[in-house]
Amino acid sequence: MTDTTQITAPPRNQWWDVWDQFKTHKGALIGAVFFILIILGVIFGPWLWGVDATHIDIRSRNQGPSLAHPMGTDQLGRDTFARMMAGGRVSMAVGLTAMALALGLGTLVGVVAGYFKKLDGIMMRTTDLFLALPLLPLLLVIIMLFRDKLNSAFGPEGGIFILMVSAIGATSWMQTARIVRGDVLAIKEREFVLAARSIGTPSRRMIIRHILPNVLSPIMVSATLGIANAIITESALSFLGLGFPPDFPTWGRLLFDSVDYLQQYPERVMWPGLAISLTVLSVNYMGDGLRDALDPKIRGR
Amino acid sequence: MLDTPKEPLVRVSNLKMHFPIYGGLLRRRTGEVKAVDGISFDIFEGETLGLVGESGCGKSTVGRSVLRLYEVTGGSVTIDGRDIAHAAPEELRKMRTQMQMIFQDPQASLNPRMKVSEIIGEPLREHHAGSAAERRERVLELMDQVGLNRDFANRYPHEFSGGQRQRIGIARALALNPKFIVCDEPIAALDVSIQAQVVNLLEELQERLGLTYLFISHDLSMVRHIADRVAVMYLGRIAELAPRDDIYAEPLHPYTKALLSAVPEPDPSVEEKVERIILAGDVPSPSNPPKGCNFCTRCPSVMDICKRDEPEFREVQPGRFVACHLFNQTT
Repeated sequence: MTDTTQITAPPRNQWWDVWDQFKTHKGALIGAVFFILIILGVIFGPWLWGVDATHIDIRSRNQGPSLAHPMGTDQLGRDTFARMMAGGRVSMAVGLTAMALALGLGTLVGVVAGYFKKLDGIMMRTTDLFLALPLLPLLLVIIMLFRDKLNSAFGPEGGIFILMVSAIGATSWMQTARIVRGDVLAIKEREFVLAARSIGTPSRRMIIRHILPNVLSPIMVSATLGIANAIITESALSFLGLGFPPDFPTWGRLLFDSVDYLQQYPERVMWPGLAISLTVLSVNYMGDGLRDALDPKIRGR
Repeated sequence: MLDTPKEPLVRVSNLKMHFPIYGGLLRRRTGEVKAVDGISFDIFEGETLGLVGESGCGKSTVGRSVLRLYEVTGGSVTIDGRDIAHAAPEELRKMRTQMQMIFQDPQASLNPRMKVSEIIGEPLREHHAGSAAERRERVLELMDQVGLNRDFANRYPHEFSGGQRQRIGIARALALNPKFIVCDEPIAALDVSIQAQVVNLLEELQERLGLTYLFISHDLSMVRHIADRVAVMYLGRIAELAPRDDIYAEPLHPYTKALLSAVPEPDPSVEEKVERIILAGDVPSPSNPPKGCNFCTRCPSVMDICKRDEPEFREVQPGRFVACHLFNQTT
């Protein structure tokens, strides 16, 4: 009945299957291309363009787009294109790191609260407490309190980067924690967890092998939303003038600086706005595709 | 084979499993569901003990507490001479290789994100049995044993039919060469045509590997087919335990009589003559069982003593145990 001559092939790396599925999702593919372009642009762009983002050339201020300045110049004659790339570098770094932090924290709290019944009450009440706090005022207070200390320890840029990342990360993990906890509670009652327990799997490996892979979808979704959220929060803080120092470009700071000239030079607001929107959109599409690709039930269909 | 006195492989004595109920504003403990309330039985090496009863009578809880998937409230479970119910965690982990479980719902009992080879190989990996290549070889061997095509090793559970999934579950249970397997309604979620295949596979494996089964089911005719002895449960207690042929030929406990009279008869001419014993009322709540005999609220031959004293679970004929006051006088 069975073909005995055929030797069963060793298992193919499952990431190839994931990639095959990911390729079929058009939106995800376009999103990934955009995201990679933006990343490459902000990493290598400043070297290639060669114009210093902080170089002030007062004679060529308030220019429109031209070959020398593809996105024009600002009120001090700084090249907007160079500033966009330099600002993107900071915004992306803050967004990705803060998202990773929030995701790690949220997943940890969610899994622990969902899996260990005794810790559930206290952890979820803490989560509720954080959810109930008004975040923007809280962020302002955190930044007011710790900015100077961190600045003296890590320098003005390093200090504010750490502050921003930890402040955003520490105030945006709650949604992830709640979603993950809910899913863990449901998965914990499934029979395959009982089956694993009957084998003698300890809690640690149970979580890594059985629980985490099955809560991957909601984690992916909150990751994509998290990047967007972190970039927007960073922009909001910079926009309020509480983020990085004034001469240090970020997308949020660029928006903030351009608002004064909204009526005369509206394109200046559009560049950073467009960059933020495109990043957020591409990340969302990418996350959508990745979530589908990671689910074996959808894969191969 | 029957002449030699067999040693019981599994010995359950006075097993109790109570689940607490929390209620009120302060979530205080307000009561408990007595899912399993003091049951005792032995399972001999190589035999199949069928455990039957209606929904909610505690069959599955018995199966799970015997393997200590729940922390039991009282009593002891000894498997192969070692106490399972009170073993320390690390010791218990080592003992788990001796006892395995086959689950009711083959859809839910397989991790949807793992490949078949990973699922079957998980017990081996967990107990560090051999190198990766050896484990893979063992997985393929197990797949042959349960009649799964080797080429399916890299597929995911959702790509299989119910019967095939149950075979995967059986292969996983066999991976560590256990002596004792609890089959928790392994055929209840399958099509009738597949049920026979799976039961035959279980029997074949028992013969080949000398397995001991605790076969939990509500399907009386299937239990009659596979079991050597049958235990009938009602509301957390065993009403009657007897060799299969005896219990089906002449049930002693009134509940067993009622239960067996409900089995459909394939021959219509016989079917017409069958007198069904219809029980009145519902099963009492296990959180508030009746005083005296559990079955006294619905028993057709209830006596005064049944409402006062709990009947003892006694051997009334050689090998036949009954918990009923009707048999107080006969011995």
